[in-house]
Amino acid sequence: MLRIEDISYRAGRIKILDALSCDILPGELTVLLGANGAGKSTLLRLISGERSPHAGKIWWGDRQLHSFAPAELARWRAVLTQHTVVSLPFTVEEIVLMGRYPHYRNSSSEKDRAIVAFCLEEMKVRHLAARYFYTLSGGEQQRVHMARVLAQLRGREMDEDRMPGNSPGLLLLDEPTSSLDWQHQQLCLQKARELAISGYTVVVVLHDLNLAAQFADRILLLKNGRLLTAGEPGSVLIPEFIQAAYGINVTVFYPEGSPFPVVIPTTIKNEIYANN
Amino acid sequence: MVISPGQVIAVLLNKIGIHLPVAYTEGMEGVLLQIRLPRVILAVLVGAGLAVAGASLQGLFRNPMADPVLIGISSGASLAAVATIVCLGGIASHYLLNTASFLGACLSAIILFRMGRSGGHTIVAMLLLAGLAVNALCNAMTGLITYSANNEQLRSVTFWLMGSLGGASWKLVLSLLPFIITPVLLLPLSAKALNAWSLGEQEAIHLGIDVRMLKARIMVLTTLAVGASVAVAGIIGFVGLIVPHIIRTLSGSDHRRLLPDSALFGAILLVLADLVSRTLLAPAELPIGIITAMLGTPLFIYLLYRYKKNYVKD
Repeated sequence: MLRIEDISYRAGRIKILDALSCDILPGELTVLLGANGAGKSTLLRLISGERSPHAGKIWWGDRQLHSFAPAELARWRAVLTQHTVVSLPFTVEEIVLMGRYPHYRNSSSEKDRAIVAFCLEEMKVRHLAARYFYTLSGGEQQRVHMARVLAQLRGREMDEDRMPGNSPGLLLLDEPTSSLDWQHQQLCLQKARELAISGYTVVVVLHDLNLAAQFADRILLLKNGRLLTAGEPGSVLIPEFIQAAYGINVTVFYPEGSPFPVVIPTTIKNEIYANN
Repeated sequence: MVISPGQVIAVLLNKIGIHLPVAYTEGMEGVLLQIRLPRVILAVLVGAGLAVAGASLQGLFRNPMADPVLIGISSGASLAAVATIVCLGGIASHYLLNTASFLGACLSAIILFRMGRSGGHTIVAMLLLAGLAVNALCNAMTGLITYSANNEQLRSVTFWLMGSLGGASWKLVLSLLPFIITPVLLLPLSAKALNAWSLGEQEAIHLGIDVRMLKARIMVLTTLAVGASVAVAGIIGFVGLIVPHIIRTLSGSDHRRLLPDSALFGAILLVLADLVSRTLLAPAELPIGIITAMLGTPLFIYLLYRYKKNYVKD
């Protein structure tokens, strides 16, 4: 289990996270929601070990996060960040193979190459394997990075070498669907779910409340660097909390036959114009 | 002196105890072993060093236009050397010149690194801009020193600035050897890390790379190669820029191939350039920096053109 204890983080004098505590369970897909500047991406960066909190502790099982060496952490934890530019002309396949770098020293093994092929296939970018990355569209680039991140963690499901806290690994995705079309948004989050089902700990920052409702096991709703509420989608996605977090009035439906709620803003077009 | 290929082989094999039935004079042996051979080996070392340093710096700056000359490491080295020539005149020995230009390169690199740092992180754009500033300052100061130099000093400074492998000797080769061999052997060990680094600093950290260590290692090793090269041969431009470009179009951007291939191709290119510089206007000698620029620039423009065409087409 990933335990976050009273963590605070400042950028200059501005408090980004303010004594936030929560638990994140393995085998679950946890979604971070909140308005811009609520601290979602910062929380993800702290969990990834890239930055250290100014106060508070992050525990992975019985070990503190900062006690892991970067190379050790990289075998267990993969991160998809926003705005990744690749400035040198690497091919798609070379980039996905970089996801395997933490797992070998000098040359890639049969297993590494098999995982790369599998991840190219599962993110539907295998036909682009020999293309230069910079020639791809934004959505294709995002899928290639997702394939790289999956390649970093794939093949650990049966591995004896588990992270403290008994999870095969930790997957962190920061707005993985921002440039994707509707069908690939579904694909991307289905893959994240697949990993959660096979025991991985998965944390995803999302903006789309309905994608969160569809895929999350648990939602952490952030506001001004604090945890507003946490729980199953049905208990978090209610008009009161959404109004408090985003300042928008919504209606939450449970359409017949749908296993998850659907959130619709109640502000209609004319009102938006009137308010402006 | 004309020495035929057969005689060259005979002289060389004779040295390792194989005697071929080819006639040559003692003078030929002397010229080949004491003048031409060390010169070729010097070209190999300088070419390999500059090319591998260029490829590594391009990786570090994530910019295919980065080059030891561009970011001011070479001009730092050359400023120190020019100052030494003008201040000390005839008594400036080769060793003193080596040391001075190596220190100049180090100083440039340290200033670059300091200016590029902010709160424990190195900002690559800042580093590149700092490089431009260091370059401009060094060139201005070199210009100032040149302006105040007398006729004789001016001649040696100008010739030195254009670059030459003319002073080659075994002593010089031996003094350069460790400064080139170390980076050529050690830089490829960072190849995988440099690949991951090209995704971005955060991504490299996420892939388990110790980025502070990586940056320090690349800076130290490239400074070593560039400083020593400038000391023995002056500023030879375009090798560090062009060679990695050519290798990328041939075998891709993977630094695991790029770094050793660049070293090899840089060595070949500089040996050929030196051959042209010695023979084109023989017995006069054309400065090698002019040759590499003449060879390199058209190729560079062609590469840019191809890159643009590919980019637009896709």
